[in-house]
Amino acid sequence: MGTDRARRTIDDQLPLRPVEFHILLSLAAGDRHGYGIIQDIQGRGDAPAPDVGTMYRALARMVDAGLIEPAARRPAADAGDERRNYYRITDAGRQVATAEARRLEALTRAARLGGLLSKGAKS
Amino acid sequence: MSHEALVNLSERWFRLLQRLYPVDFREDMGESVVETYRDRARDALRRGGVLRLGVLWIRALVDSLRNGPGERVRPAVTWRRRGNWGRDAEFALRRLLRARAFAVLTIATLTIGLGMVAVVSTIVHKILIEPLPYRNPSDLYYVWRDYGPIVNVKRGGVSATDIGPLRAANAVIEDVALLQPMLGGIFAPREGGDPTEIAVTVITPNLFDLLGVTPMLGRGFAVNEAGPGRPNLIVLTHGLWNRIGADPAIVGRQVRLQGNAYTVIGVLPPTFAFQRQEASAPLQRIDAFIAVHFTLDSQPTTGGNASALVRARHGASPEAVASAIDAVGRAIDARDFSGRGLRLFAVGLKTDLVARARPALMLLAAAGALLALMLMVNLALILLARAAQREHEFAVTRALGASDVAVMRATLFEGGLLGLIGGASGVVVATWATRALVALAPLDLPRRESIQMDWSNAIAITVLGLMLGLLAAAPPAAWAARATLASLLASSAVRGGGGHTRLRRTMIVAQVAISLILLGSGGLVVRSVERLLRADPGFNPEGVLTFRIRTPPEFFPKPPDVVGFQDRVEQALSKIPGVTGVSATSSLPLTGTAPQIALRRPGAPQQTDTVDRDTVLVDAIGTRASYVSVMGMRIVAGRAFDAVRNDGRQEALIDRRLAEELFPNVNPIGATIPFGGRRLSLAYTLEPATELTVVGVVEQARLYDIHQDGRPQLYMRTEDWGYRPLSFVLRTPLDPESIIPAARAALRGVEPRVALGDPRTMTQIVEDTLRQPRTSAVVIGTLALGALMLAAMGLFGVVSSAVTRRRHEMAVRLALGADHGRILRLVLGDGALLVGIGVLLGAVGLYAASGLIRGALIGISPSDPLTLAAVALSLGLMTLVACYVPARRVLSIDPAQALRQE
Repeated sequence: MGTDRARRTIDDQLPLRPVEFHILLSLAAGDRHGYGIIQDIQGRGDAPAPDVGTMYRALARMVDAGLIEPAARRPAADAGDERRNYYRITDAGRQVATAEARRLEALTRAARLGGLLSKGAKS
Repeated sequence: MSHEALVNLSERWFRLLQRLYPVDFREDMGESVVETYRDRARDALRRGGVLRLGVLWIRALVDSLRNGPGERVRPAVTWRRRGNWGRDAEFALRRLLRARAFAVLTIATLTIGLGMVAVVSTIVHKILIEPLPYRNPSDLYYVWRDYGPIVNVKRGGVSATDIGPLRAANAVIEDVALLQPMLGGIFAPREGGDPTEIAVTVITPNLFDLLGVTPMLGRGFAVNEAGPGRPNLIVLTHGLWNRIGADPAIVGRQVRLQGNAYTVIGVLPPTFAFQRQEASAPLQRIDAFIAVHFTLDSQPTTGGNASALVRARHGASPEAVASAIDAVGRAIDARDFSGRGLRLFAVGLKTDLVARARPALMLLAAAGALLALMLMVNLALILLARAAQREHEFAVTRALGASDVAVMRATLFEGGLLGLIGGASGVVVATWATRALVALAPLDLPRRESIQMDWSNAIAITVLGLMLGLLAAAPPAAWAARATLASLLASSAVRGGGGHTRLRRTMIVAQVAISLILLGSGGLVVRSVERLLRADPGFNPEGVLTFRIRTPPEFFPKPPDVVGFQDRVEQALSKIPGVTGVSATSSLPLTGTAPQIALRRPGAPQQTDTVDRDTVLVDAIGTRASYVSVMGMRIVAGRAFDAVRNDGRQEALIDRRLAEELFPNVNPIGATIPFGGRRLSLAYTLEPATELTVVGVVEQARLYDIHQDGRPQLYMRTEDWGYRPLSFVLRTPLDPESIIPAARAALRGVEPRVALGDPRTMTQIVEDTLRQPRTSAVVIGTLALGALMLAAMGLFGVVSSAVTRRRHEMAVRLALGADHGRILRLVLGDGALLVGIGVLLGAVGLYAASGLIRGALIGISPSDPLTLAAVALSLGLMTLVACYVPARRVLSIDPAQALRQE
């Protein structure tokens, strides 16, 4: 029953906004600060980097929902060693990110079965 | 610039953009956003130099423009700190949409109230306050003659000989111009063109400079283009120029005036709406200007029909001007009148212009101010009532942590939003209403062409609405901010909550009182106008066409020519199919223009040398034979003029008053009145005249006021005395306007150089006379109705909220055994009491106000019982209507259910 309730809470948060999913992806790999997240997303190549304002609103939302939390403010190498605010993913955030990834995978599978995507190839 | 410096500059830009975000977001995330942008800036510089940095700047702008307001409207998080106005606006809107009745009520109140205030302020501003469009208009004065003991004329035209002495007073007076009507203005745009009648004013060449007006085309008159032997030059007004084709190359072309060729030297701009003021007639339209063709000093000094316009030196006080002009007047009196007492006096240009309209306008302004007061009271009442309803909600919100400021801001926002909407819709209503009013208003309303809603007024009214909304919401907001759960529970259990009852009740009483004053005054004015509309002017205007035919001496040099021409015209007109009667008069009824004659009393026993005892001042009217029958005048005794003239005697008709004055004990028919002068014999020779023979007594065909007789009237035959010009009157069972073309053709057949001037139906003339009082009635009636509606809405709001508040109390009473009727009486009785007190106070105010409006009332006393009864009745009805819905709600209270809900 406890896991049911947890899943219900997780399911309530799906679907995630694309920018939110990308943020969780980045933070799953480790603590990041704002610009670090943007660089990660750019590096992944598929999606264009989100606007800074949009991203920070999403960050605020996700902190409020408990998916991420602020981490210690410390100097960042890629910011000329100036101090930056870092963010860290929470357990809940990890679970939600996984759930969303599964959801997207299921959708993609359905699309392949339905013939919209050719098996295994990038369209 | 180094990279670091550029990055720092960019940071300043990013920081500036952050201001688009709400405060709480800025405080939480703002720093991080700016830092991240810094990183991106550094990166952009490294990768693509200044160009790429520039692109980032623009992207940052777009991002902030999108997310800043977005965050305000849809915050990512429920910030508990200070809220933001975007969200407040959304909530306020949603709340208002839920409470539709309240919102509609408020907006309706504001629309009605502000709309009327806007109309009143536009009219008063445009006519009384806005300066005239001339150079330094406050330095312009008209000068008139006051004949004092010489003749009973308190305001008369000046003579051209007065201009010289006025100019000589150049310590105070900068310049003086003369204006005089030109008799007869038969105008044709070219040789042989169809003649029309226009209004021409003869001026000294300095008028345009004096006013500070430059012609739109061409030029004005030069100094040497006036006086005897001057060239025939004419300046057209924009209106006339438009009417004859608006030819841009008209300067230098020739037109015909009275058959003479005149060269157009200029056209005035469309903004030039100058009208000539005369001593005793209404404002005179001007179509064109020509220069004086005489030397000023050569004119007769005795009588004058000219107007003198003076420009005082800038900075001269009105008192200095007045005394300078008085000094000149005394000098003229000594020089030309042997010191018998002639005086000159000055009236400011604007004062003179609006003199007639001023009393009505002041009344209007007062009514408007009263209405504005009512409006504010109403608004406050409505918003207070609503705040009372939402006390519960406020207290809960406060308990949950919303700050004082947040609650206050919410209420103020609501008020401001409603105020803004109400103001805007008030402007829309006022624009339409102003247009309608101007269309209805008298044709000689001063500055008529400029009376319309303009942008500055519109913005002022909208802002006024906003401020009224905020102002009216302030007390409830402050009050609600202090509401706590504790106080709420305490008060609702006992009285049904809501303080400030006395304030509310006072406001209702004030509203009712003001409504009563406005309604009472309005009712009186309306009934007064009703009297006017039903007045019998002494003739039958239905089915009569009239037009003026001028007979200028250039075409008709001798009296026989004139009379012969008039005979031929009458013949030609009577041949028009559909015309049952033709006649003519020198003074058309209701147009107020007739020369006055001092008639010697027949057989006056003592020559006392007192003007009043020996003579009677009468209006002398010349008519052709069948005038009485064509106009449908009533004959009291005797008969009208014979169809054919009798050389042996000069026939006259007198009115009833004159009959009583001259022949109190004798039958006037056949009696004679001594009358000197020279008459035209049947052979058209000039013979000395000695007396008039009265052949009949008639009821006046009223010249001035439609509802009462004016000066006694004396009718004589035009053929005896060579009256010109004449206004012809045609009676027809057809629509009079339909025979205008036939009349024109008939006239052209007799004499093509003469114009059919100013064709109108007598019904139109009567209508025009009634425009002014009708407009007053409409305006005051509308204001009064608006006031009634405002009062009704206010009363509704108060009683309705009282019912809401006291539900608990009423439910308890019902449960304890009272019946619905008793409860009803309780609530409504309260409302009725307020109305009653308001009526009493209003009655006092009305009594005071009636002193003010007495002058505007005709044939009705300010304490007319019928009107007052109607007003009381309508107030009573208003109370009933306003209390109907709340009363029904009271009756539908189910005590058990109501108590359970608490």
